[in-house]
Amino acid sequence: MTQTDERGADQVAEVPEAPAMIELADLSPEAMYELFEAHGWGDGLPLVPATPARVDAMLAEATGDPDEVIATLQPRFGAATRRVVAINAVLAGCPPAVFPVVVSAVRALARPQVNLRGVNATTHPSAPLVIVHGEIVKRAGFNAGVGAFGPGNRANATVGRAIRLVMLHVAGARPGFGDAASQGQPSKYTYCVAENTDESPWESYALSRKVDAPSAVTVHCGENPHNVHDDEADGDPALILDKIASAMTSLGMNNACISQGEFFIGLGPEHAASLALGRLTREDIASYLFDRARLPAGEFRRHFEERAWANWMHAVSDDHLLPMTATPDNIRIFVVGGPGKHSSVIPSWGMTRSVTIPVTG
Amino acid sequence: MSTTTATRTDPIMIYRPDGPLGRPSITLTPAPPSLSGLRVAVLDNGKPNTLLVLTRLAETLSSRTGTKVSLVTKKGPQGMSANAAIPCAPDIFERVVAEADLVITGMADCGSCTAYSVHDTIEFEKVGRPAVVVTTTRFEPITETLASNFGLPGIRRLVLPHPVGGTDPDTLHQWADAAVDRLITLYSA
Repeated sequence: MTQTDERGADQVAEVPEAPAMIELADLSPEAMYELFEAHGWGDGLPLVPATPARVDAMLAEATGDPDEVIATLQPRFGAATRRVVAINAVLAGCPPAVFPVVVSAVRALARPQVNLRGVNATTHPSAPLVIVHGEIVKRAGFNAGVGAFGPGNRANATVGRAIRLVMLHVAGARPGFGDAASQGQPSKYTYCVAENTDESPWESYALSRKVDAPSAVTVHCGENPHNVHDDEADGDPALILDKIASAMTSLGMNNACISQGEFFIGLGPEHAASLALGRLTREDIASYLFDRARLPAGEFRRHFEERAWANWMHAVSDDHLLPMTATPDNIRIFVVGGPGKHSSVIPSWGMTRSVTIPVTG
Repeated sequence: MSTTTATRTDPIMIYRPDGPLGRPSITLTPAPPSLSGLRVAVLDNGKPNTLLVLTRLAETLSSRTGTKVSLVTKKGPQGMSANAAIPCAPDIFERVVAEADLVITGMADCGSCTAYSVHDTIEFEKVGRPAVVVTTTRFEPITETLASNFGLPGIRRLVLPHPVGGTDPDTLHQWADAAVDRLITLYSA
């Protein structure tokens, strides 16, 4: 059996040739559509032509050899060099200032615990969520506030889109071929937010995972956000947390049958402030949700013949209330969004683990 | 015509977006001269009805060619469980290699399970065990793509009707029996 290294290759990649050039008939959007559709490339939206000048401007924001293979991306075994990533960042419309985030997210996705081959190929709706932390959030103009998961901000929109284009072109996650997602999901177009550290009562998420760097990036491969609305909490944190636990407790998500899967909980700043007023730490919240998001073991067993559970979970009786994930540490809390009483639950694909690393070019 | 307009209508060179491949190239294990007496392992990834279909295929193959079903196991550690979205457990991989000459595995009838059934199949081919991945008509394109991605476009693949999950046992037995001629060909060529 082969081993997978941190760049995602389970065989040593051959030294690749530089990316090839191709002729574009003219600079019109129609010509780009025609060229890309002819090759089965693109995400269906208009693309910015990757001219050498634009790619060089992107690479100027990175350090290191442009043609060094920084990741081998599965299932296609595509060799991601900085230049190849830059090409896709240009296509996505990235401003050069965000490029180190794109490069770092690609590096993170190649880590073996992500299981990118499975993430991309699965019939499950699963997309890499990129969460940006630290000083680059403001410097490069990411949106951590109102509508962070939504449209209207170039950095969020184009970083998420650049990652998707890298998945499509380099990792081979083309629907029906390297991506079997039965229905897909909108976050397969773009899926990037910034952590709202300014309005978080706690240290940054990256620091809580012991990544102490000026800027960091987290990748978590899972479903779209599932909304949680609570307008009622007034000194009673349980009103918020029980609603989050109820959104986590679903037999239709893979966390139900794969106990190593994480939940990312995107707390709106107002919910986070309410919980912090009750003196709850991040760990307290995870413990509460671990305790509250449960179903009878027998119900899981009836629904799933094969259960990728921690060993101890197999031992309990059918009437025991089993948690939706194996440990409180699998419940990851970060603050995102703007005014209002909304939070979100982002379930995992399951056979994947999130990764947080410093932003480097 | 202005200069700007003229530039917009000229052909230009841009980069391709896909970049080079870092994949290895793998070759099929040569077919054995005869199937008679060879040991067959059934490797089950736990997808619904996989055990039923693969076992029927292996047993019918034996009655037709004189092979012997030497091992039927799930792909998880100690064969106690199966997780279709990760590779075959190392202990089971070693056991299959030790106890079988031919391998039949599946079911490649979803995305990640196809990726890892194809992966397992190739790993067995790399150590000299002719291996067949069983898929369905609806997942044949992704099986072909992934096999090609992983360096073995000519992978031995057996295509059954779709869907295997949720189809009754009598129908599945008929599908398996109808596929055995093809299975014999895959191990013989």
